[in-house]
Amino acid sequence: MRLHLGGHLNWYDPRKRAWLEVPLAAPVLLSALLQQLHVPPGEVAIVVINGRLAQLEAVMVEDGDRVELYPAIGGG
Amino acid sequence: MGYGSTGKLLRVDLTRGVTSVERFDEAFYRVYPGGKALAAYLLLREIAPHVDPLGPENVLVLVNGLITGAPISTATRFTAAARSPLTGAYGESEAGGFWGPELKLAGWEGIILTGRAAHPVYLAIKNDQVEIRDARHLWGLEPEQAQAAMREEMGDRLTRVLQIGIGGENKVRFAALINDLRHFNGRSGMGAVMGSKNLKGIAVRGTGKYSDYAHDPQAVAEIGRRIAKRVKEHPQSWDLQEKGTPGLVSGLNAGGILPTRNFRQGAFERVDNIKWEVYEKELLSARRSCYACAIRCKREVKVDDRYQVSDAYGGPEYETIGGFGPNCGIDDLQAIAKANELCGRYTLDSISTSAVVAFAMECFEHGLITPEQTNGAEWRFGNAEAMLQIVDWIAHRRGIGDLLAEGSLRAAEVIGGDARYFAMHVKGQELPMHEPRGKVGVGLGYAVNEGGADHLVAYHDPMYANPASITFKAAAELGITEPLPPRELSPRKAEAYARLENWSSFGKVVGFCYFGPAPRSLIQVDEVVEAVRAASGWDFDKEELLRIGERATNLARVFNVREGFSRQDDTLPDRLFQPLESGALAGVGMSREEFETALTALYRVKGWDPETARPTRERLEALNIGWAADLMV
Repeated sequence: MRLHLGGHLNWYDPRKRAWLEVPLAAPVLLSALLQQLHVPPGEVAIVVINGRLAQLEAVMVEDGDRVELYPAIGGG
Repeated sequence: MGYGSTGKLLRVDLTRGVTSVERFDEAFYRVYPGGKALAAYLLLREIAPHVDPLGPENVLVLVNGLITGAPISTATRFTAAARSPLTGAYGESEAGGFWGPELKLAGWEGIILTGRAAHPVYLAIKNDQVEIRDARHLWGLEPEQAQAAMREEMGDRLTRVLQIGIGGENKVRFAALINDLRHFNGRSGMGAVMGSKNLKGIAVRGTGKYSDYAHDPQAVAEIGRRIAKRVKEHPQSWDLQEKGTPGLVSGLNAGGILPTRNFRQGAFERVDNIKWEVYEKELLSARRSCYACAIRCKREVKVDDRYQVSDAYGGPEYETIGGFGPNCGIDDLQAIAKANELCGRYTLDSISTSAVVAFAMECFEHGLITPEQTNGAEWRFGNAEAMLQIVDWIAHRRGIGDLLAEGSLRAAEVIGGDARYFAMHVKGQELPMHEPRGKVGVGLGYAVNEGGADHLVAYHDPMYANPASITFKAAAELGITEPLPPRELSPRKAEAYARLENWSSFGKVVGFCYFGPAPRSLIQVDEVVEAVRAASGWDFDKEELLRIGERATNLARVFNVREGFSRQDDTLPDRLFQPLESGALAGVGMSREEFETALTALYRVKGWDPETARPTRERLEALNIGWAADLMV
C-alpha cells in the first residue's frame, strides 16, 4: 500500500518521507500499522482511504490501498 | 534596566510637516504593552467618531509589541491600525519581517501619523533623526524600485522600508502595506489609509540594541536560543520550516474544508495541481526568515515558464493559493504565483483581492457583470487570464475594476440583484480561506472580530478536538477543559473560543506571530510567560497575559460601538448557512439557530450585553479600562 503522511505527520518518519511504500502480506488494522511506524494516533485528524474519508478506529487497510493521513490544521 | 519598551512614540503631523516625540512611562505600558492594545488605545484617543477613513482626520498608527525585536523566534510583529476604509470599523493588521524590529532598534516603539501631506512624501528615520522627505519622484513606482531609491537616499543599504505601491496610492479599499517587498500588513486596507495621507513609505535604520530595552536581556537571549534549537524537534514548527503554509492545501481539501468557487464547495477536484509537491518543483527558489526567527516559514519563488514570476516579492502563502486557486476554480500554480506577485507589486491584500475576483466571477456567471464590462473577456471560474486581468484592473481602478476596488460589499450594493449573496464578507471584509462549516469556532471568530472576517483570531477547532493531540494538550494549559468536535456549535464551544481568542489577541499585543506560541507551534505557554517576564521584569502569570489579550479586544470593540456597530454586524454570509455542494462535508451547512445561541453565550462569557454586543462597564473596569465605558454613551 502507499501511505501519505501529510502535514507534520511525516516528521514522525525517521526519513521524513511524505509517501511510504508499505508492503502488506495481509490486511491489517491501520491503527496497528501506525503504531509500528511510531505515528501517534492522537495526531491523525483526517484519514482518506482510496479517496474516501474513514475513521482511524477499526479501519483495515490492505496491499494496493492508497492511504492519506493528515493532522489537525489551523491558521495559515 | 528597561521594561521591554523604548518608551517613545514618534508623532508625525503630515499636514504641517512637523514631527515630535511622545513619551510614556512603565505604568502606562503595563496596561497597554504594545501592538493591538496600544494601537486600540491610541485610536480611541486620537480619532473622533465617524471620520472619513480616507480623510486627513483618520490616524494611522504603527506600533511594536513588547517582545518585538527580542532575539526569540516569531517575536517579529508590529501592528498597523486606523479606522478601516473597507469596513468603517476598527482596522488592524499585523506584519512580520524586519521593519518592526528595526524601528525598535532605532529607539521607537511606534509612530502616530496624522493629517495629510500636500504632496507625496516619505518618512526617513535613522535612530533619533527623523525627516519628512519629498517623494514625488517615488509616487507611482513599484515597491522594488521605490525601496532601492529610498535605501540609496538614506545612504544605507540596511535600511528597512515599509511602503505602498499603486494599490495604496489609488486608495483601493483593501490595499496593504508591504515591508522588505514580501511581508504584509494585509488586512483592513491600511495601505489605502497610508495612500490617503500622501505617504509613500517609511524608511528606517536603527543601530541600537534590543538589550538596551529589556529587563533581563541575557534571560531573553537564553530563551531564544533554547527555542531555536527545538524547531526541528517539534512536528509543527518542523512542518512550517519544511513546507511553510503552502503545505496546508492537501489536508484541508481532504477534510472538505478547502473553500472552492466562492465558498460553494469544500473540495477542489484538481487539487493535485496546486499541492505542495508541485509548488516545490515548479516555484520554489529559496526559503527565508523573518527577524531572528529559526522557523523560516517564508517561501521564495521564481518562474520562467507558462508565466514569468519575479523573485522580488516572495512566494504565495496558503491564503493566497487558496484564494486565487480553488476559490477561483484555478489549478495553475504558476498563474497563482503570478497573481501573488501582482499583489506584491500593487500592494493589495491577497485575501480580499482573491475574494473579490471570486465574487466578480460568480457575478459574471450570473450575468450581473457582462462581457461589455470586461472587454469581452470571460470572467468565469477557472479562467486564470481573467483572474490576472481583474487584479490588474482593481489596482489601476480600470473600468469595472474601479468598483471592485471598493470591496465586495460596496460592489454588490451597486451591482444589485443576487450580487449580495456572492459577496463573502463580514462587516465588509472578505473571508479568508478557511471554511467555517467544518470548523465553527473559526466562524464565530469571523463574525465577532472587530475588523471583520479574520482567520487569526480563533485557534481553529481541530486543534482542540482530540485530547491525545499535541495541540489539545497546549490548549489545556490555557484552560480548555474538554475536547470539542470541530462542528459542534454550542455554548461550550463559545466558551472555549473566547478563552483562546484572548490568547491570540495577547500574541498580537506583544508581537508574537501566530506560528510561535502553542497551540499552533512550538513555544510552550510557560515559555511565553517566561519570555514576557524576562523582557519586562513584570511578575505576570498566564491569566494576566490572557487578560491583556481580552483588554485589547474590548478596546477594539469600544471603537466599533462608538462607530455604531452592534450585534447585527456580528454575523456571517448567508451562504455559510447553506449546505456545501462538494467534498467530505457535502450537504453540511451551519445552523442559524445554533449560531445565534452560541453568539449569545459568547457575549455572556465576554461580559458583554447580548442584546447590543457592547462591553458592560463592569467588565471594562475589571480589565482596568473603565474609562472606555464613557466613550460608548
